[in-house]
Amino acid sequence: MLLDKKDRYGYELVQKISDQIEISEGSVYPLLRRLTKEEYFTTYLKESTEGPSRKYYQLTAKGRDYLYELIDEWNEFSRGVNQLIKEGVNNVEE
Amino acid sequence: MSKSKFLQQLNESLKPLSAKERADILQDYEEHFSIGLEEGKTEEEIVTSLGSPNQIAKELLADYHVEQATAKATTQNILRATWAVIGLAFFNVVIVLGPAVGLAGFILSAWGIGLCFLLSPILVLGEAIVHSSGFFLFNLFMSLAFCGLGYFIMLGMLVVTKLVIKGFVRYLKYNVSLVKGGLKRVE
Repeated sequence: MLLDKKDRYGYELVQKISDQIEISEGSVYPLLRRLTKEEYFTTYLKESTEGPSRKYYQLTAKGRDYLYELIDEWNEFSRGVNQLIKEGVNNVEE
Repeated sequence: MSKSKFLQQLNESLKPLSAKERADILQDYEEHFSIGLEEGKTEEEIVTSLGSPNQIAKELLADYHVEQATAKATTQNILRATWAVIGLAFFNVVIVLGPAVGLAGFILSAWGIGLCFLLSPILVLGEAIVHSSGFFLFNLFMSLAFCGLGYFIMLGMLVVTKLVIKGFVRYLKYNVSLVKGGLKRVE
């Protein structure tokens, strides 16, 4: 999702993800590798103004399709869970 | 732990991977360190937030082994993949090892039964040589029937074994994604 609008480099992705989700930062790179191997991302190296070149990740067309598929699936799922919670809480109150 | 200690430990644990793959992985973490240091973090802080190099290596190796097992389903590859997935988390010992042992037991015993049936005429012949009994003909026909049955069991098991191996590799993949917080579903 972070890559939908623009390409980002590994460190940036790791920070954004670990800010929101409880995952050890080191575990993000294996995920990025796997998604790259499955052709959801491509990577390229770009020189940085400060220090050595950085590896950027770019979403592929396949990755974008998959992303939207997952978002739909997630929305469907969370809608269901929210509905269940609502019913459950209401029943308790009655 | 310092940066060099972290990278060294990660490198050690990734021995089964090719040198190219390892260098590529280490490069990612090198980059992470250099950017983190630029932002004014200390090596210690970066190492702490990265987590244990052994755990990272386990995740990478599990991916690698499952990939191998998918590409070429040899017994060795599947065993390696099974172990790698078990290594990911303790609760997997029950979830993966249970079905693995159960299935392996079923397959082995079915092969065993098939083989025994197939070889039963030899037993009858052996018996006839050692001490001739009145039931020789009856035994011989029964054993021939079993022999045929055994043949079909063996044929059936060939197909079943292949299917089970395929299914199990899928299961392992599913499990890896499950352990990693279900970030990716295997279709």
